[in-house]
Amino acid sequence: MTTFDTAERRRTVEARPVIAELIDAATVQAIAEEAWISLVGEEEVLVPLPGELPADVLSSWVDVVGPWTGSVVLTTGRRTAEELTRALLRDSAPAELEEEDVADAFGEIANVVGGSVKAALPGQSALSLPSVGTGPDVRNAADVCRIDLLWRGEPVAISVQGALPALPAPRTTPVHPTYENEVPL
Amino acid sequence: MTLTATSFDWVRQVVHRESAIVLQPGKEYLVEARLLPIARQMGLTDVGQLVDNVRTRPSPENTRRIVEALTTNETSWFRDGDPFTALTTTVLPALQASRTHGERLQVWSAACSSGQEPYTIAMLLEDAMPNASSRVSITATDLSREMVERTRAGRFSQLEVNRGLPAPMLVRHFTRAGNEWEVNATLRRMVTATECNLSAPLPRMGPFDVVYLRNVLIYFDLSTKQAILRRVRSLMRPDGWLFLGAAETTLGVDDSWERVVLGRSSAYRPLKGA
Amino acid sequence: MRALVIDDSRAMRRIVSSILTGLGYEVRDAGHGGEALDVLNEGWVPDLATIDWNMPVMDGLQFVSAVRSNPAWRSMTMMMVTSESEHTQIVRALAAGAHEYVIKPFTADAIRDKLALLGLLPQEVVL
Repeated sequence: MTTFDTAERRRTVEARPVIAELIDAATVQAIAEEAWISLVGEEEVLVPLPGELPADVLSSWVDVVGPWTGSVVLTTGRRTAEELTRALLRDSAPAELEEEDVADAFGEIANVVGGSVKAALPGQSALSLPSVGTGPDVRNAADVCRIDLLWRGEPVAISVQGALPALPAPRTTPVHPTYENEVPL
Repeated sequence: MTLTATSFDWVRQVVHRESAIVLQPGKEYLVEARLLPIARQMGLTDVGQLVDNVRTRPSPENTRRIVEALTTNETSWFRDGDPFTALTTTVLPALQASRTHGERLQVWSAACSSGQEPYTIAMLLEDAMPNASSRVSITATDLSREMVERTRAGRFSQLEVNRGLPAPMLVRHFTRAGNEWEVNATLRRMVTATECNLSAPLPRMGPFDVVYLRNVLIYFDLSTKQAILRRVRSLMRPDGWLFLGAAETTLGVDDSWERVVLGRSSAYRPLKGA
Repeated sequence: MRALVIDDSRAMRRIVSSILTGLGYEVRDAGHGGEALDVLNEGWVPDLATIDWNMPVMDGLQFVSAVRSNPAWRSMTMMMVTSESEHTQIVRALAAGAHEYVIKPFTADAIRDKLALLGLLPQEVVL
């Protein structure tokens, strides 16, 4: 039996924790600070103050699939993303940055932040390769942990946001017998 | 910006004298960021006040805190590995041969900072002797209450566990706790952390079989060095072992110690009758 | 000494390569495990490989297993450098044959400390 009726689907969704039960803003902030020290520069500081994002923004994100499923999304102005890329590449930054350089470097920051968020969540989860673009939509405003930071005076938002509809629950959540023999991710 | 050019120059001079590290002009913001927490802990409002305070009332403890805040990012595990290698290859076998069964081995980590040194010792002994947790006690002391509390908690950030801790030891002795790593309870039970000011009379402790007193003496003048070494000696067993920092020695300071070369490092042992 | 830096992120390859070059290594890089095996099959066998975990085509763990199955590559030290930071993942990598494990985020000092543990610092480094 593999079909989900609506009631079961609802129970599955309800059985899933929301992100606020699993991680708090202070932890995400600490994770971001460590990632910045490592990647951007050892003396780089993230100030926990909100700023107004410009119209032209870029996001990079990784998906986390496990007991909690969603994305870890970094969003900043395109120019700030370029500046981050230059900081990351240090001496080896080309004179003219290409789109690909920015996607790669900004994506790697999402990968490192996402890896630490994944490790701070309970249970086993899998991490996707990073994506860069306009970012996944927030599907469930009740399942978001967002922090707003300033880096060199420019706003950077980091959002840990749930995905809906939920992906099939891993077997640690006993909701449906079909999943008992499924290999956890 | 509260830091005047004169204050910044003073900090640069101190850091250069104590650590040989050169702070380039332009690093004012770094000095601000690293020293502000120390100023606040001392009840001062800014770094300028901290500098004035330490300049007018020189204090080796505060100098050390300033230099450490500016020179060490994270303390390494197995910092300068040789004194730890010597612990399991030479010191432990010698002590086991001369101690009666059931005698508890007592080790003192005398400037434990955030706890990397006492837990490095605990891991090594746990791996080297069966039931180490009931046969060893490690006393970890530091001047700073904050550092003592960090040692007690035994929790380390991701950046900290990356610093020189072999991966097999990380997985054997730590568990994940949120975005940090926590030392296993067995090791935490071996370590007792308390505040202690080395340049004042010491509390009743020991007697210690092994003392790690590393990178502390360099901050003190000769007479204080002598007083510290004398007090440390009074808390050691007559056949105990003292490890100092790589740039430190008892030679020319206190002649009641015998220097023993152990591989690439040295230990100091109380001279009999001295 | 030689090092092969394996990571799908160009930025990360540059960061790790520049740390290793600064320590005196001759460095080549590869964007995934398959490319790295090509380098080894060419006959360029390094003293050290730094290996990301999540990569397209062939991931880091598959690469470690492939290296372990060839006795000619025994002398190579394999150090994972990855954002996979769970306890179980580290155990898996060590069980597969990795010698060391650095978790992203890391600092340049972390790489130097690990190489010192492995006896792979080419020269005394003055900071």
